[in-house]
Amino acid sequence: MEREKFHLSDEELLMASDGELSPRSAKNVQSHLAACRSCRARMRVIEETIADFVDASQAAFDSRLPLAAGPRALLQAQMAAIAATHPSRRLRWTTWSPWVLAAACLAIICVSVSLIPRGGRSPRHAVVVIPRSNLTPGAVVLVSKEQVCTGEHANNRPVPVSTRRRVFQAYGIPDADARSYEVDYLITPALGGSDDIHNLWPQSYSASAWNAHVKDQLEEQLRGMVCSGDLDLTTAQREISRDWIAAYKKYLHGTTQR
Amino acid sequence: MADIVPTSASILVSTGLAAESTGGAAAQLEREVVQLFDAFRKPVLRYLLGIGLPVEDAEEIVQEVFLALFQHLRRGKARHNLRGWMFRVAHNLGLKKRKQRGMIPGAVGQHPVADPSPNPEDQYANAQQQGRLLAVVNALSEQDRACLFLRAEGLRYREITQTLGMSLGAVSISLARSIARIGRAAER
Repeated sequence: MEREKFHLSDEELLMASDGELSPRSAKNVQSHLAACRSCRARMRVIEETIADFVDASQAAFDSRLPLAAGPRALLQAQMAAIAATHPSRRLRWTTWSPWVLAAACLAIICVSVSLIPRGGRSPRHAVVVIPRSNLTPGAVVLVSKEQVCTGEHANNRPVPVSTRRRVFQAYGIPDADARSYEVDYLITPALGGSDDIHNLWPQSYSASAWNAHVKDQLEEQLRGMVCSGDLDLTTAQREISRDWIAAYKKYLHGTTQR
Repeated sequence: MADIVPTSASILVSTGLAAESTGGAAAQLEREVVQLFDAFRKPVLRYLLGIGLPVEDAEEIVQEVFLALFQHLRRGKARHNLRGWMFRVAHNLGLKKRKQRGMIPGAVGQHPVADPSPNPEDQYANAQQQGRLLAVVNALSEQDRACLFLRAEGLRYREITQTLGMSLGAVSISLARSIARIGRAAER
């Protein structure tokens, strides 16, 4: 018993190894370790065991983790939605001074006036995130799963300037803003989408989260699922045309290894 | 070929006005949360897998954690020890999710790990060792396992106490017990 009392406990060794002891206790433990070969050996075993466990758990789990890009985009979009619909408490109107409140009201009026359509023109800073169903319901060509999977329709053909102009006009985007958009296929040709104007919409370059890169991921995922037999082509076309962001959340949110 | 208009689609058009009205401070906060997401997504995910959640649920919880963090910071709440705060929220959401799914705390490491070692003997030895280690971890109590995985993600003991609601002494005893068991398994 005397011998056991003399040696440091496992908890003391572990806490010393993790730097969790008070300075005084740490000093006492260091003094003991300097004189006790047995405790030094136990300390070494504890440190090696922790290191082995950390390595093993990281190796076991990291290989199962989906890529970060999709979840990051989803988080950014959700934060933007929260910021837009629920103003920060510190920015609530009740906390504003009358002058600030008056200025805010004036700004809202100005913005509202600018939002009133004039001759089919939309607000200057409007960012189209999801196409309007009445303008872009999506359109496909008759194509088989085999043709989709062999890549016969895989190329996004450049949209002619005249068609681009018609899309911008339909969406009420002024010429000056047209450079901020690309005209994109709602249903990608890789999934049988056609180049009809009903399948084209202006996608903003300035959309920070739900941008073309994110949509590309969805298109790749859906095509992969169609070709592997996990999803039929019609469903894939319907899902991406109905609401591509909802489709992204459904098929890629945390399930990139699906 | 005839064109087909396949579906009616929903109407959802967002404007950039929202981003403008929230101003630069909101954008700055969003950037900060994304930076924290990039730094801590993996550790939080690993922890959630460690306590037995499937990847899909763990990823969903991570989204909730960082949205909660965004709200937390927007309200001007305390910024000290955000790492401990994130793990605490993740732990609580993880337990809730497991309860919803009627899950018994599941075994960890059920998926085999690819071993980059080209030598078959090394592969065999590593697999043996890892199998023993995982068997020991699976046999630990739920609290010991949670404690061990939090320590593996580099949390200080005080952060572990706050996450799991244990005392400092209980954390060190739990960790020492788990490490002793793993160490004995490795010796065999």
